[in-house]
Amino acid sequence: MPRRIVSGTAQISPEGGRLLRRRHFLASLVGVGSLALLPRRPRADGREVRFGLTPVFLNSDLELLTRLKAYLTASVGQPVELVMRRTYQEITALLLSGYLDAAWICGYPFIQYQDRLSLVAVPVWRGQPLYQSYLIVDRKRPVAGVSDLRGDIHAFSDPDSNSGYLVTQALLTDAGEVPNTYFRKTFFTYSHRDVVRAVASGLAESGSVDGYVWEVMSEIEPDLTSMTRIVRKSEWLGFPPIACAKALRGKPTTERIAQALLTMGDDTDGRQVLDILRLDGFTPGDDNLFRGIAQKYDQVRRLG
Amino acid sequence: MKRSLRRIGAWPVAVKVPLVVAVLMVAISAVLSNQILVRLSQTQQRHLEQLASAYLDGLSSSLVPYVLRDDIWEIFDQLDRSRERYAGLSAVYTIVAGQDGSILAASDPHEFPSQEPVPEALSERFVGTNTLVLAEDEGRAFVRRPLSYQDRPIGAIYAEIDIQALLAERRQVLLTLIATNAALTLVFAGFGYLAVRRMVRPIDILAAHLERGRGGRIEPVPRAQIGPKNSEFGRLFRRYNALVRALSERETLAARLAEEERMGSLGRLASGMAHEINNPLGGMFNAIDTMERHNDNPLVRNSSLQILKRGLVGIRDVVRATLVTYKAGGETTRLRARDLDDLRALIQPEVGRRRLTLEWRNDLPDDFTLAAGPVRQAVLNLLLNACAASPVGGRVCLEAGARDGELVIEITDQGPGIPPEVASIMNATKADPPPPMHGTGLGAWMVNRLVRQLGGAVHATQLPAGGTLVRIAVSTEGNKGLRHVA
Repeated sequence: MPRRIVSGTAQISPEGGRLLRRRHFLASLVGVGSLALLPRRPRADGREVRFGLTPVFLNSDLELLTRLKAYLTASVGQPVELVMRRTYQEITALLLSGYLDAAWICGYPFIQYQDRLSLVAVPVWRGQPLYQSYLIVDRKRPVAGVSDLRGDIHAFSDPDSNSGYLVTQALLTDAGEVPNTYFRKTFFTYSHRDVVRAVASGLAESGSVDGYVWEVMSEIEPDLTSMTRIVRKSEWLGFPPIACAKALRGKPTTERIAQALLTMGDDTDGRQVLDILRLDGFTPGDDNLFRGIAQKYDQVRRLG
Repeated sequence: MKRSLRRIGAWPVAVKVPLVVAVLMVAISAVLSNQILVRLSQTQQRHLEQLASAYLDGLSSSLVPYVLRDDIWEIFDQLDRSRERYAGLSAVYTIVAGQDGSILAASDPHEFPSQEPVPEALSERFVGTNTLVLAEDEGRAFVRRPLSYQDRPIGAIYAEIDIQALLAERRQVLLTLIATNAALTLVFAGFGYLAVRRMVRPIDILAAHLERGRGGRIEPVPRAQIGPKNSEFGRLFRRYNALVRALSERETLAARLAEEERMGSLGRLASGMAHEINNPLGGMFNAIDTMERHNDNPLVRNSSLQILKRGLVGIRDVVRATLVTYKAGGETTRLRARDLDDLRALIQPEVGRRRLTLEWRNDLPDDFTLAAGPVRQAVLNLLLNACAASPVGGRVCLEAGARDGELVIEITDQGPGIPPEVASIMNATKADPPPPMHGTGLGAWMVNRLVRQLGGAVHATQLPAGGTLVRIAVSTEGNKGLRHVA
C-alpha cells in the first residue's frame, strides 16, 4: 500500500513541483521551447541549473513550460535551463553523466539505475505519489481482458517506460509470453499521448499507456480519450520521480531544486504549474515507493 | 422544315433581328463559356497537380527513413500532421505501402489497417506513377508516388483527393456564366427589339400606304411622317411620294385616253349608225307617201305600215344597243347571250359598208356572273377593229361560249395580221400596263385593261392562213372585276 502523501500547500515541500506533461507533448515543443524557455541569464557566481524533462511530462502547452522555468529560476535562485529529449534513454543518460542537475524521469529507469541515482522529489496525484498503467483498446471493440489482445498491433510508449512498456511486458512474462510474439506487431510512439492517438485512430488495436496521462487527457482532450476504452488497470505504482545523480545528492543546487519542488504549492506561479499538471504537489518520497516497479523489473529479467 | 422556315421568314423584322441577336449571343456565350470552363478546368488540374506533387514530395522525403525502419507510428504521425499542413488538398485518405504491397500505415487506419494488403479494387484506381487520375463523376482524384532509397524501390504512397470543391467551383462558374449570359442576351434582345422596332417604324408607315394603295387609294406619305431629308427613310418616302404622284398622273392620263378611245369609237359608230338609220328612213318616207296617196287601199296601207314598223324596229335596235353599250356610269348587269347579240346591230353598218360576211356563233349561257359592260365594250372594240382590218368582202367571225367555267370569246378576221407592237400591248400580262405613248394600240391597251380588270386574259395571235385571232378568257371564279361589278 503506497504511503499517503501530504496534501495541501503547507504539506507539500518547496521542491515538490508537479509537472506531469507527457513526452510527446514535449516533443512537439522542443523547437519552440528552446527559443521561449531559455533566455540565458547566467549568474555571476555560477552556471545555469539544468533540469531535464522526459516525455513522462505532459508538455502540451508553452505556458506550462514558461511558468515552470520562471518558478524554478526564482525558487532556486539561479538561471534554470529546461532540457528536453525525445526518449527516456537520452534524458537518463544525460542525468547519469552529470550533465543534468536533476530530471523528471520514469520509475523504470530509476530502478534500472538505482545504484547511481537518488530521489529528489515525487509528484503527488490525487493525494498519493502513485499512478497506474492502463491497457486501452478502441471504444467499440468488444474485449473482455488481456487474453483477447493476442495478435493485436500494440502500441507502447517507450522501452524505458514503466507504465508504457514494463507493466505490460511483466504481465505477459508472468503468463509465459513475450510482447513480440504475443502481439502481431508492436511499436513505440515515445509519447503516452501518442499511444492514445494510435489506439483512437485505429493504427494500433491496443496500447499500454500511463494512467495519469490518460486521466488528465480525459479532462483536456475528452474527444480523444473517449475513442478508447480501458481494458485493464495495473496495481498502483510509484509515480515517475524527480531524480539526480547520486554524486549530486546533498549538493546545494540539488537541495534548492528539491526545496523549490516541495514548496511549489506556496507560490502563485508554482500553484498554476500544479494546476496545469493536475497535481497536488511534491513529496520527498523514498525508494520503497518503487518496489513494485523493481519487482516487475526483476520478474522480466528473470523470466524474459 | 421549309414551311417552318417560310413561317419564320414571315415574322416581323423587329422580332427577327433581336432573335438573331439572341441566337448569336447564345452561340457566342456557349463558345466563350466552353473556353472559360476548359481553361478553368486546366488551371484547376494544374493547381491540383502542383499541390498534390508538393504534398507527396513533402511526405516522401519525410517518410523514407520511417519506411526503411518500418516505423508505422511515425509514418502515421507524418500523415496525420500533413493533413493540417495540406488542408487545401482535401486528401480523403493517404496510404503508405511497403515494397511487398502491404499497408504500413494510412491516414485512416480504421479503413485501411496496417499490415493488410492495399485493396485490389483500390490499387486499380491508381494508374501509372505521379499521374493524377481524375474521376470527375465521383468527385475524386487518385495519385500514386513510388518511394525509393538509393535508387531502390521501398514502397509507395497512394492518395485519394476530394475534388468536389473544385467541381462545385466549376459548376458555380458555369451557372454564373449561364445566368450572366442569359441576362445579357435578354437585355440585348429586348434592346434590339425596341431599337429595331423604332428603326423599322417608317417601313410600317410605307407598308400601310402600300396596303391602302392595293385597295385603290394610293396616297403620299404625309410630310410630318417623312422625317429628316438626309435620312434613308426620308429619301425613300420622297421617292415613294414621287412615285405616287407619277402613278396618279398616269391614272388620270389613262382614264382620259380610255375616254377618248371610247368617244373615238362612238364617232365611228355614230356615222355608221346614222347611215343605218338613214337607210330605213327613205323607205319609211316612201311608205308614208304611199299611205297618203292610197290611204283607201287597205292592202297598200297595211304594206306601208309593215315597212314603217320594220324600219322603226331596226332603228330601235340600233339605238338600244348604243344606249346599253355607252351608258354613262358603267354597266352593272350580268352578262347574257343577248348582250353579245346586241353588238351585231352596232357593227352591222361597218359590215354592210365593207360587204363583210359575219359569222356569229353565240353559245353563251345566261348564268354567267360577269359584268356585261366591260365585256361588251371589249368585244365591240375587237369587232370594229376586225371589220376595219378585214378586206372588202372578207369574213369576220365571233365565237362565244363557256369552257370549263371560263367565258371564252374568239374573234377572227382576215386582215393582214396584228402588228407585233400592238399584239404586245394586247397580250400584256403586267398588272397595270402603261398606256401606249404613240397613239398606236390604244384600242388594244383598252381591251387588255378591261379584260384584266375582270381578272381575265386576252391574247392575240397571227393565224397561219392570214388574219388575226383574238381570244378573251375570263374565269368566273375569283374574278375580282366581276365581284367588284356584280
